[in-house]
Amino acid sequence: MTDGLDRRTRRRFLAMTGAASATALAGCNGLLNDGSDGNGSGDGGSGGDSLEDFRGSGANVGGRGEISGTRIDDLPDLSGQLNIYLGGGEGGLYTDLLSLLSQRYPDFKPNFRLEPSSQLASKIAEEQSGGGSFADVFWAVDAGSLANVAAQGYTRPLPDDVVAAAPEEFRPDNAWVGVAGRARAVPYNTNQLSESDIPDKIRDFPEAGALRNSVGWAPTYSSFQAFITAMRLTRGDEGTRRWVNGMQEAGVSEYNNEFLVSNAVADGELAAGFANHYYALRVKAARPNAPLDLAFTSGDAGALINVSGAEVLQGTSKPQLAENFVAHLLTVEAQEFFATRTFAYPMIEGVPPVGGLPRISELDPPNIDLTKLGDLEGTIDLLRDTGAL
Amino acid sequence: MDVREELAAVRGRLRRESGGDGLGFTLLSAAIAALLVSPVAWLFLRVADIPTPEALSLVTRPSMVDVVLSSGLLVVAVTVGSVLLGVPLAFLTVRTDLPGRRPLTVLLALPLVVPSYIGAFAFVSAFGPRGVVADALAPLGIERLPETPGLPGAAIVLTLYVYPYVFLTTRAALLSLDASHVEAARTLGKSRFAAFREVTFPRIVPGIAAGALLVALYTLSDFGTPAIMGADVFTAQIYVEYNNFGENRAALLSLELLAITTVILALESRVGRDDASAYASGGGGSATRIRLGAWRWVAALGGLVVAALALVLPVGILLLWLVRGGPGYAGGGFEFELAYALNSVGVSTAAALVSVLLALPVGYVAARRSSITGRLAERATYVGYAMPGVVLGLALVFFGVKFAPTLYQTLPLLVFAYVVRFLPQAVGTTSSSVLQVDQQLVEAARALGESPGRAFRRVTLPLIWPGILAGAALVFLTTMKELPATLILRPTGFETLVSYIWLVQGAGYYGRAAIPALTLIAVSALSMAVILAQERR
Repeated sequence: MTDGLDRRTRRRFLAMTGAASATALAGCNGLLNDGSDGNGSGDGGSGGDSLEDFRGSGANVGGRGEISGTRIDDLPDLSGQLNIYLGGGEGGLYTDLLSLLSQRYPDFKPNFRLEPSSQLASKIAEEQSGGGSFADVFWAVDAGSLANVAAQGYTRPLPDDVVAAAPEEFRPDNAWVGVAGRARAVPYNTNQLSESDIPDKIRDFPEAGALRNSVGWAPTYSSFQAFITAMRLTRGDEGTRRWVNGMQEAGVSEYNNEFLVSNAVADGELAAGFANHYYALRVKAARPNAPLDLAFTSGDAGALINVSGAEVLQGTSKPQLAENFVAHLLTVEAQEFFATRTFAYPMIEGVPPVGGLPRISELDPPNIDLTKLGDLEGTIDLLRDTGAL
Repeated sequence: MDVREELAAVRGRLRRESGGDGLGFTLLSAAIAALLVSPVAWLFLRVADIPTPEALSLVTRPSMVDVVLSSGLLVVAVTVGSVLLGVPLAFLTVRTDLPGRRPLTVLLALPLVVPSYIGAFAFVSAFGPRGVVADALAPLGIERLPETPGLPGAAIVLTLYVYPYVFLTTRAALLSLDASHVEAARTLGKSRFAAFREVTFPRIVPGIAAGALLVALYTLSDFGTPAIMGADVFTAQIYVEYNNFGENRAALLSLELLAITTVILALESRVGRDDASAYASGGGGSATRIRLGAWRWVAALGGLVVAALALVLPVGILLLWLVRGGPGYAGGGFEFELAYALNSVGVSTAAALVSVLLALPVGYVAARRSSITGRLAERATYVGYAMPGVVLGLALVFFGVKFAPTLYQTLPLLVFAYVVRFLPQAVGTTSSSVLQVDQQLVEAARALGESPGRAFRRVTLPLIWPGILAGAALVFLTTMKELPATLILRPTGFETLVSYIWLVQGAGYYGRAAIPALTLIAVSALSMAVILAQERR
C-alpha cells in the first residue's frame, strides 16, 4: 500500500563481489583505424557488430536479462563525415561508442570536439550568431546546455520516428532528445551509516545528526549546480539559500568533482555525499568490496534526473546523417553501452539499468521543466553569496 | 601648412622618436604589438553589452573584493617566493664552487616543463588527506595530514613550478656580468657581501625583474593550480562564469584582470632596465668562484631538495597511476595515439618559430636606446601573456566567426593564440641579448662600409642568436603545456597531449593520463636542454 506522499523509492545495490578487473574491454581495445585497409575486419573479429561489443563487463553488470528495441540493423547505414560537439564529463567514455560505430561503418567518420558542455553551448551560440555552423550535432551531458542552444533557435526539430522511443519529458518539442539519464543520489558508507540514517527529503539533510561534519559536495561541478537550480525552482531562492547555509553549518566539505566525493565516501573519509548515481557504480566497478551504497531522496531537487542528450544544429549540411546518428544513439546497442559502460539510465523502455538500480520509472523526480535548468546565473550568484563557490 | 609638410614633420618626429634606429623597425614593432593586443578589443565589445547597473554591482560586490585580494596575495606570494628561491640558487650555481653544478642547474630549471596543473594534482594526490603520503604514514599512527589547499597551497605549488623563470633570467644576468668589476671592488677591500650589494646586485636587478615579471603574470593567468587547490582567484571565477553562459560577466572579470596586469607592468617598468647591464663584456663565468667550504654540501643538498619536491613528486605520482589499478586509474576512454604527441610538437614548433620572427623587431627596438614607441610596444606584448587562455580563446572565436570564418578552427589561428600568450618570453630574451651586444662592433662594421642590414646580419645576429634560441625554447615548452586556448581553438578532431590528458581526466581515468603527461614532460625537457646549452658559448 502506498500513501503517495512519503513513498520511499529506495532500491539497494545488489551487494556484489567478485574479481572486477579494470574493465576488460571486449572488442574495444583497437585503435580507431581509419578503415583505410578496406577489407573489413582483419583478425580477431572487428568491433561494433554484435551487442556483446557494446556491452560492458565487471561486477555491476552481472547477468543482463532480455532486452528489446530498435537495433542498429533496423536503421540505414551511417556514412560520411559528421562533426560532433561532444560535451565533456563522460565524453571520454562516449568516444568509445563513436569508435564502435565507426568500426561497424567503415565509411562513417565522426569528428568530435570535446569541451565542457556549457562552453560548447556558448561556442555554438557564438558560431550561429556569426552565421556559421561548424558542427552538425551537439551531444551534451546536461539538459541545461541543450536547452540553452534550443531556446535560441539554433536547432533543427528531430523527426518523430527518431525520438519516439524516448520518454516525452526527455524530448521537449523534439528540439533535442535524451540518450542517457543520470539521477542525483546520496552515496553513503555502509560501515558508518545504515540507509535509515539518510533523510528521505533533501530539506532534512542540514539537521541530520548522523551526517554532521561528514558530508561532501562538489559546488563547482555542473550537475551539482543543476541540482541547486532545481532546488531554486521548487523552493525559491530564499529557501535554497537557507539550505546551503544549513549544510555549511553542518560542516559540509568541498571536493573538486563528484567522482572524488564518491571515492571519499568509499574510503570512509566521508559518511555520505551528494553525487550523480553513476560515480558510486564506477567506484564499485573498480573496488567491488567498497562499503558503498546509494540512497535516493524523493520528490525533491535531490531526486533530479538529468540527461545527456543530442540535438541537430541549424545550418548543418548533412541533416539526414545527423538525424540517423541521433537515431543510432537510441538503439538497443547504444543504450546497452550507456547502461553497462557508463552506468547511466537507459532512455528506452526495453533496456534496464545495471547494478540493481531502480528503473527510471521507479524514481520520484521533482516536477520541474528540465529546460529551465538552463538558468544558471541565479544559481551561481547564490552559491557565491553563500560562500559555497 | 600643407599635407606634405605635415607628413615631413611627422616623419622627422618619428625618426627622432625612434632613436635613429630605422623608422621601419619601430613601426613594425608597433604594428606587431597592436596585432597582439587586438583580442582585448573583443573584451571591450563584450563588456559594452552589460547594463551599467549590473556591471557596477558586479564590480563592487563583496565577494569580488575577496577575489581581487586573493589574486593579489597569490601574485605577491609566488613572486616573492620565486625570487627567494631563484636568485640564491642562480648565485650558487654561477658564482660558487657548488659540487655538481651542471647537473644541478639542469634539475633546477626542469620544473618549468611540468604543467602546473599536473604538479598541483600530484600534490593533492600525495599530501591530501588520504593521499599517498597519508597512507604511508597511517601505520605510524598519524591519522590525518593537515590540509594545505587554498591560497597557501596554491602559492607553494605555483612557486615550485615557476621559480625557474627567475632562476634562468638571474643566471643569464650573472653569467654576463663583468667579473673584473667585482674583483676591483674586492681589491678595494670590500667584503664579499658588500661587493655583492654594491656591484653585483645592481647589475642583475634587471634580470631578476624580468623573471619576476614573467612569474607574476603567469600566476595571474594560471587556472589549473588555483582551481585544483581551491583558491578563489580571478581565473577560477572567470571559468565558472564561462561555464554558465555568463560570457559578459566573464569578459568584465577579464578586463579587471588586465587592469591588474597593467599595474604590474608599470611596477616592473619602475624597476626597469638601467643601462648598466648594457655594457656587458661577458666572461663572468671565469671569475674566481666563491669557496663555500663545507657549506657547499649543504647548499647542494638544499638545491636538490627543491628540485626533488618539484620533479620527483609529479613524476612519481604519474608512474604510480601507470602501475596502480585503483579507482579510476584505468578503464575506458579512447586510446592514446602517437599522433597526439606529434600534433603537440608541431604546433609548439610553429608557435616558437613565429614568436622568434616577431620578437626580433620588438625586442631589438625595445633594447636599443629607448624610444617611447619601442618601449610601449614591448610592454604591450606582455598583455597577452597575462590573459587567461580561456579569455583569449573565446576572444579569437568571436573574431574568427565574425571576421575570418576561413581561419576559424584552423591551425594558424591556434598558433596565433599561442604567440599572443607566449611572445613576451621571446621578447625578453631577445632584448636582453641585444642589450649585451657591444655597439662599437656594429659601428666598426658600418665604418667598414657595411649597410645597416648587413651589419645586423653579420655582427648583431650571430651575437644575439643564443638569446633568440632560448626564447624559442621557452615559447615551445610553454605552448606544449597550454590547455584552455588549445581546447577552445583547435580544429575539431585535432587532439594534442594536453587535450587528451584533459579528456581522460574528465572521464576520471587518471591512469590514462600518465603516459601522455610523462611524454609531455620528456619532450619539454629536451627544449630545456636547448635553453641551458645556450648559456655557455
